[in-house]
Amino acid sequence: MNMQTLNKLLLLSFLVLALGSCKKEKSVKYEVINQTATDISLNKNKAKNEAQFISILYANLFQNALPINKLIATQNVIQSVGDRSLVYEIILSNYMNTPGTVIPTDETMRADLDKFIIDTYKRFYLRIPSELEKSFFRNYISADPKIKPELVYIAFAASDEYLFY
Amino acid sequence: MKRKSFIKKAGAAAAGSIILPYILPSGRLFAATPDPKSEYVVYILFAGGVRQQESVLQGYLHTSQDLDSSFAGNIMPNLMAGAQPTKKIAYGTTSAGGTIGDTPIPKILSNPLVNEGVLFKEVRAVNPGHYGGLNSLLTGNASVAQGLKVRPNFPTIFEYARKHLGLKATETWFIGNTIANSYNLLNGSTHPDYGLQYGANFFAPTVTFGSQGRDVLANAKVYHPQEELAPMYKMKNFLDNVFRVKQGEIPSIKNTDEDKNRIKDFVRNTFIKQSAGQIPAPPVTDNGDLVTLSYAAEVLKEFKPKILVVNMTAVDACHGSFSSYLRALHRADHGVGWLWNYIQTQIPEMSGKTTIMLSPECGRNMNPNPIKDENDWLGYDHSDSNTSRVFTMMAGAAMGSTRGTYAENWDINNPGAFTTDNVLTIADIMGFKNMIPSGFVDGNAKSLFDRI
Repeated sequence: MNMQTLNKLLLLSFLVLALGSCKKEKSVKYEVINQTATDISLNKNKAKNEAQFISILYANLFQNALPINKLIATQNVIQSVGDRSLVYEIILSNYMNTPGTVIPTDETMRADLDKFIIDTYKRFYLRIPSELEKSFFRNYISADPKIKPELVYIAFAASDEYLFY
Repeated sequence: MKRKSFIKKAGAAAAGSIILPYILPSGRLFAATPDPKSEYVVYILFAGGVRQQESVLQGYLHTSQDLDSSFAGNIMPNLMAGAQPTKKIAYGTTSAGGTIGDTPIPKILSNPLVNEGVLFKEVRAVNPGHYGGLNSLLTGNASVAQGLKVRPNFPTIFEYARKHLGLKATETWFIGNTIANSYNLLNGSTHPDYGLQYGANFFAPTVTFGSQGRDVLANAKVYHPQEELAPMYKMKNFLDNVFRVKQGEIPSIKNTDEDKNRIKDFVRNTFIKQSAGQIPAPPVTDNGDLVTLSYAAEVLKEFKPKILVVNMTAVDACHGSFSSYLRALHRADHGVGWLWNYIQTQIPEMSGKTTIMLSPECGRNMNPNPIKDENDWLGYDHSDSNTSRVFTMMAGAAMGSTRGTYAENWDINNPGAFTTDNVLTIADIMGFKNMIPSGFVDGNAKSLFDRI
């Protein structure tokens, strides 16, 4: 086989391979399926440490980050009191006495109680309430005009579930 | 009814009426609880590693800085009997134009505490470290496997008292001078049979009521107890019950809602009194231990707890400054004298019904380290056998007419008493010694009343 024939055969082989490797691209379409991001029951089994608790609480109530010096001071004070839930309640009542908390008004709460209850569960517990929970709060708040959103927020923020994530 | 049957049934009923009161809900049969020797106990963890030579032995600079015997003397005049030093006074306050510490603090107790009770002169500290030593003082266990930064492995005196006497959390208090070194974890153990649900309330007043506490706690909004707090707690309890179904019980010391409100009121009122300069305090209050004692007095006055424990640590300055150690030791004595006097004169409900007990958690070395302070005096660490030498003092109601000094001829291999005795002793004073399960406290431990 002379050189010319060999070149032709190589060129032919290259063309066959090149043509064989070309495939028409498939048209794939991706879509988003709606999923519920909140649930009635979340498996919360990790306790927040003091820094996590206080940072999350402050951001929740003030919609703002807690300055680091205040975070350290608050952590120290928490450790200086034996009853955690007690000191958290005192800190909460301090926050409630500080300008800047973002809390719905009583009128807003009572105008749409179901929405307030669901929003509060999402805000503090990152989940939606069960029917039992909704029913309890709906009845309890409706029956007592003295219950303000602030008290509901304190109850949630001081509750055991809020200590976990 | 036949006579035989009547006697049988009557006998059974009589036996039942005797036995039944001592069957606890757990089903365990305990010996009858004897009457308490005293209604209240104040227990001082004294005070950060105290060398036997400067305390009980009253050696001052003679036994510490290699000076002659004319430099010896008692720098704890409220606790111990004995003449104070006359040379190189450096443990008191500083006079105008004088040298540091040149003026001893005047005695508060005209009669030293030792004369109102007993001194166990030679007691063996079972653990040479601070945290381990404090653990042994509070659990009665040698705590050899106790880790740092974790709660005690064995139940504390608070848990024994709360579980077996049915005390509320506000009836047991632990007042610490700091949150450092895990001291804030000493109010309750991780023991599965006891644990934090039987733990004590705790404050570290230099933090709780210090500048940080003022920033974080003093501006608390006052809520109406019935109209606002009661419904808030009702909602919170509902939320907690729902969570408890899934998660189980959350460990906590379990103050009742009513007691929580009481403690909140106490915190608020304490800040108000603090601003008005109305917190009672020892005449000299220039270190953290003395500040801690002044707030301990406030807790005593408000809550009248059955058991209050105070921890002091300022004498631990001895590692780097012997002069500071002497000043702190003299102040620890001053503070305890003031607290005892305060109980007797300002808290009528506790006066004459309280027993005070104190022990160092560990001693200090026989030989100094090379660190010299401003007076060229050498410091002392705590690691050799001299560290095991401490003392225990008890005075007040439980002592009755018992007075004296015990275990004077102590030998390191045959100690007269142990720091682990204190838990059983307090249990004895409060009347529940027999309820402490066997194997929980150190095998050598005994109530000091059994050693007298």
